[in-house]
Amino acid sequence: MIDPRQAGIRRRLAGVRRVIAFCSAKGGVGKSFCAAGAGLALARAGRTVGLLDLDLPAASAHLFLGVQMRLPEEDRGILPLPCVPGLALMSAAAFTRERALALRGSEVSDAILELLCVTQWGRRDALLIDMPPGIGEEALDLARLVPQLETVVVSTPSMVSLRVVERLLAALEQMRVPVLGVLANMCRGDGDGVRRMAERRGVAFAGEIPYDPGVEPALGDPAALGGLPAVRAIGEALGAILGGPRPS
Amino acid sequence: MIECMHEWALADAVIATAQKRFGGGERLSPGSVTVLVGELQAIDREILAFALDSLLAESALPAGIFRLATEPAAFLCRPCGRRWGLAEEAGLAAEEREAIHFLPESAHAFVRCPSCGSADFSVEKGRGVSIAEAGS
Repeated sequence: MIDPRQAGIRRRLAGVRRVIAFCSAKGGVGKSFCAAGAGLALARAGRTVGLLDLDLPAASAHLFLGVQMRLPEEDRGILPLPCVPGLALMSAAAFTRERALALRGSEVSDAILELLCVTQWGRRDALLIDMPPGIGEEALDLARLVPQLETVVVSTPSMVSLRVVERLLAALEQMRVPVLGVLANMCRGDGDGVRRMAERRGVAFAGEIPYDPGVEPALGDPAALGGLPAVRAIGEALGAILGGPRPS
Repeated sequence: MIECMHEWALADAVIATAQKRFGGGERLSPGSVTVLVGELQAIDREILAFALDSLLAESALPAGIFRLATEPAAFLCRPCGRRWGLAEEAGLAAEEREAIHFLPESAHAFVRCPSCGSADFSVEKGRGVSIAEAGS
């Protein structure tokens, strides 16, 4: 048997200039916030961006962005759900709503293949991917299926986060997946540890995102979220990354 | 409307794969490539066939090489070992069926083992679209 979806993925992503996965080895460091914030900030800056939520059992990007989940419209595939001008979202939550989705490894792989094969992103400056924590099926599949894959790694200044994220960076290097930079999230002027860790691993320090008490009240309101200092900082970091040269 | 359906993305993937696998398809006879359509995904065979024919005409592959075959869906419950088919899932709502049509893995949000109620089941066969080796 031959699975045709892999060839379909290359065609679906043909109009996308950059595919950037937001990763971390640790849960709760703000990957989804950084991915959603990056999407908002880049869209505000006039770029056309897609956001794919691949945290299948705990999809949350739509909650950050206030996108009402519904079955997608069709146009020779399925269309991502519009969020704000320039930003559209695809998520397993569009199909499962608020129901639990417990999948085993091969089922995760099938879901990723299917979403990538049938989602019509069209022409986009970037497709941002909100990843689940760790290096599981999602990361391994993306590295296999999307040759142009690049990553932004998110860490907090916490010692625990630093230790496990350093292992993630080593794994990404081993997998030859380019790391565009490490974002230090939820900082209170204490992002130096993340900077040093990035330097130790030979990857760029992408910037320090301040801890922002305004995030919680702005959840679900893209206008309010987009105006937060933390989101502006993510936008500056991503703008610099996208404006810079691609890592080899 | 038929031009918009999501079956086109799958047909496009089938054509791209066939081109890569069989080149110009010089050695392929009519109906020699079987496209298996899993019952779970409930692909509209008429639309898929139309899309395949239309996209074939734009490709280097010869016309009529595809033969569509439906593969019945079969579930296996991991905790209790119960096997069952889609006929026992007649209670699925239209929107749930549509969700499974787009993303078959969303079945795990809606389908439960008829014996023990577990969502921990595997789709043993009949999941989605695949290609059988030519001539097989």
